[in-house]
Formats: sequence, C-alpha cells, structure tokens
Amino acid sequence: PQSIFQAYAKFSGAPLTVNTIINPWKAPIGDVPVLISEDIVISQPAKILNFLRKQKYNADYELSAKQGADTLAYIALLEEKLLPALLHTFWVESENYCSVTKPWFASRIAFPLSLYLPGKMSREALNRILLTRGGPPIYTLTEVEAQIYRDAKECLNLLSKRLGTSQFFFGDTPTTLDAFVFGFLAPIYKVCFPRVQLQEHLKQLHNLCRFCDEILTCYFRLTVSGHSPAGQDTADANLQKLTQLVNKESNLIEKMDDNLRKSPQHPPRKLTTLKLAAGGEESSPLNRLSP
Amino acid sequence: AAEPWPENAALYQQLKEEQILLSDNASSLAVQAFLQMCNLPIQVVCRANAEYMSPSGKVPFIHVGNQVVSELGPIVQFVKAKGHSLSDGLDEVQKAEMKAYMELVNNMLLTAELYLQWCDDITVEEITHPRYGSPYPWPLNRILSYQKQWEVRRKMKAIGWAGKTLEQVLEDVDQCCQALSQRLGTQPYFFNKQPTELDALVFGHLFTILTTQLTTDELSEKVKNYSNLTAFCRRIEQQYFEGHDRDSSTTVAARSAKRSLLR
Repeated sequence: PQSIFQAYAKFSGAPLTVNTIINPWKAPIGDVPVLISEDIVISQPAKILNFLRKQKYNADYELSAKQGADTLAYIALLEEKLLPALLHTFWVESENYCSVTKPWFASRIAFPLSLYLPGKMSREALNRILLTRGGPPIYTLTEVEAQIYRDAKECLNLLSKRLGTSQFFFGDTPTTLDAFVFGFLAPIYKVCFPRVQLQEHLKQLHNLCRFCDEILTCYFRLTVSGHSPAGQDTADANLQKLTQLVNKESNLIEKMDDNLRKSPQHPPRKLTTLKLAAGGEESSPLNRLSP
Repeated sequence: AAEPWPENAALYQQLKEEQILLSDNASSLAVQAFLQMCNLPIQVVCRANAEYMSPSGKVPFIHVGNQVVSELGPIVQFVKAKGHSLSDGLDEVQKAEMKAYMELVNNMLLTAELYLQWCDDITVEEITHPRYGSPYPWPLNRILSYQKQWEVRRKMKAIGWAGKTLEQVLEDVDQCCQALSQRLGTQPYFFNKQPTELDALVFGHLFTILTTQLTTDELSEKVKNYSNLTAFCRRIEQQYFEGHDRDSSTTVAARSAKRSLLR
C-alpha cells in the first residue's frame, strides 16, 4: 500500500514526506499507512487518495468519465484477484515468510513488538484469504492456494492485455490506476523470494515489467539493475531495494535503515510516524520534501 | 462434444415470497437474465434448503442433466463449454474490461447488499431474521439466522467493512453506480449492441435494489439518481422477462409489498 501512495503522489506532484514507521502502536490509529495533514488523520487507502484529490493533487484530471469508471473497475479487479495471492506470497507461504518478510519486518519495528506483530499480520492475511476464498467446494488450503494463484495469473494476463503497448494505462500520463497497479506489481517484481511462481509469471509479461521499470526509473530515480551492498547476501540486497521503494530517497532515513538492520534488537533512536503530508509542515531532521 | 441443453434444466433458489434475501435474489436474477440472454430455457424452483443443496453453499445453482453448478462465474463457464457464449464477440481488451466491471459489482454492490442485510441492526431485526429462518420452526429459525449473521460479519471484518457506517456503505454504492452509469453512457448495453454477462449481473443487482422494499429507501434512491441505469433495467426487463409465466415485474411488486408487511 505504501508504494501506491508514493507512486500517486509522485504522479500528481504532491509534496510528500515519508517517515519510517518504527512503532506501529504509536501511529495514531495503529494502522499503516497513515496520512496526517494539519490535524486531520486519514488511514484508508481510498480515503487518502480522495483527500489528495480534494487538495487538488489530482493525477486523474485528464481522464474522461468513462476512464474514471474503468479505474474503479480495475482497482476492484486487483483487490479481488491479485491481492489474495500477494498476501499469500508475503505473509502465508512459509518459506517466504520465514526467510524474507518476517526478518525484514521485525528488523524495522521495536522489540518486543517485533515478536508479535509479524505473526499477527500473517494470521490476519491467512484469515482474510480463507474467509473470502476458502468456502466449499474448496476444502483444503492447497486447493485455495492453487485457486488464488490461478486467479492472480489470470489477473496479470488481463492487465497485460489492457496495457498493450502503451506507456501507461490511459495514454501518456500516469493516473491513479497506474499508481495502484504499480503498487501491487512492484513488490512482486522486485522482492526476491524463495518461492517465486508469481514473479516468474510476471516476468513473462514483458509489457508489465517494462511498465514497472519505467516508473521506477522515471519517478523513483532508482537504477533498475540494483547493486548488492558489499558483505550482504542477495536477500538483504533485495530487501534494501524494497526498503528504498517504500521509503523516500533520504540519506538520513537510509542511514537509519542500515543501523536498524545491523542491530535489530536495539530500540530506534527516534520514533517517527509515517506521515504523508500534503501541506507544508515544520521540518524535522527526517523530513525532506521531494517534488 | 457439447451436449444439448435439456428441457428440464432447473435453477434453485430460496422461497421467493417469504425467505429469499436481497443479495441472493440479486444473484439469482442475474443468472436468470444471463440464461434468458443465451436463449436457454430454465425453470425456477424454490426450495427452503436451496443454500444447503448448493455445492458451494451459495445460491443460485442450476441443475442441468446430471451436473450441478452454482454462482454466476462457474455457470457462465459451464454454459460456454456447452457452446453458448455472450462474450465471444469481444476482443481481449474488452474482455478484460468486462471482468474488471464484474469484479466491481461483486466487490461493491454485493458486499453492500450483504452489509445492509446482515450488519445494519435495524434491517437485521426487521427483515433479515424473520425472513431467513421463516420456513423452519422455532428455535431452529433463530439459530440458523444467527449462525449466518456471525459468518457474514466475520467475513466483513476480514475485508475491512465491519468498521464502516451505513452512510459510508451507501456512498460506496453511489460511487459504484456512478462508475456503471458513466461506463454505460447512452448505449443500450455495456458493450454496445449485444448484452453480455456483465449486463446480466448489473441488471440482477440493480433491479433487485430498485424493487425491494427495505426499512429505508436510501439504497434504491442511490440507483434512481442515474436515469440511464433505470432505463437499462427497464429495457432488459421488457426484452427478456415480459411475456413469460414468471413475469418479474408483478411478482416482484407483490413480493416487495409483502416484505414491507413482514415484521
């Protein structure tokens, strides 16, 4: 979800400051991501986007009514078909979860929350998958998994067909839909998991890979061919890539990331909350406006 | 080799007058519309335990030959395997769009209907509980409906709808209707001249919302705001449902009158 907002904010030119959330309990509602602007706190994705739009940071200005309707429909498609598989890859698939997601997540939040929160998120993800997809005639978890990956691959195919050869989904400028698709695809594309069936499928859809790469290079100023920090294994290198994807380019934040990763048990020096500020705010050492 | 469609194909749903709820009725009507559009005859059979007979626990389901298939998605595929399809004429991009809009309807309209009938306390008390268990004696009727309510609320919580207020849900419905209205524009069907399963699905939900009497009229008012959607429903009703024994308009009117009397 974080990548969706950052992508959207980049597309629409909203000045955005992102701070890493170290302690989710300190976040206003315990929910990430959170938008804080002049005392108004908003925490759900659609509402955050609406808020940004009302503040006149609108990436959809050029869209016709029909295209706006299409946006809503495709977002529904993503949430129904792709999200379960995404949740599964990150939080439920045991190899992925144990070797990548959990250490990464736990290294970024304070002890002892790091012991409890990843497990909770994993349980919630599994719960959501089972409740929405696990009814009869599917009775075992393997069948559910097979079904959700089938649906996800079909969804990726549909997206690929819809994108075709265009640069973005609605012509030459990116819109909300592009932000959403990017937000869903980028983690699949970039994070290196042990079990990668979805990533392999995605890599076969060249126009979607090109779409992600273009947004990364144009809007996030990252090089597509990542480099491995010396002395760390491949998993960590990709974690760092993902971290950069989630955080804004800020030297201070990156330094903090390195410190955290090296000493996961130490409480962070500064507790900051994830802030996506649409308006101007008093600057603190960690804030940096990036247009 | 596709077997021909038998004459005695049947569609099962709950009892029309006393038991069936908003969301199930919408789903059932969508399937009926779809089969009508494919010109496949089907008989509607009402059974109190339709939900339990269904292979997936959801209504409606169809019994064709020796096969039982439930829910619109699988039914569309089943019918396609038999050689009938409404969406063959669409290109790949249009098919993607159609699937996306069907997900939108399921995601927003169906979930909103479920929310309204199982999570809104007034509606639950006055309409859902009495209707859902009506064919069964006490205490079974209360047990069954509480069980179903618990199940639906659990699912709502998992997808994040439990925290929504009724106003927010109605706003979502409005947003969905606006999207559908904008997509439909001035065309007769969503993909211009020919109806597809998307038209059937949208018709099922919108027609049910428009013609069902609930504790308030807010839900149907949201749909009525968009005149092309109401015209769309009327058009499909006239073309595919009038002149048949089960004339939807009259039975639905009778049903909605009965609903308001049920307390």
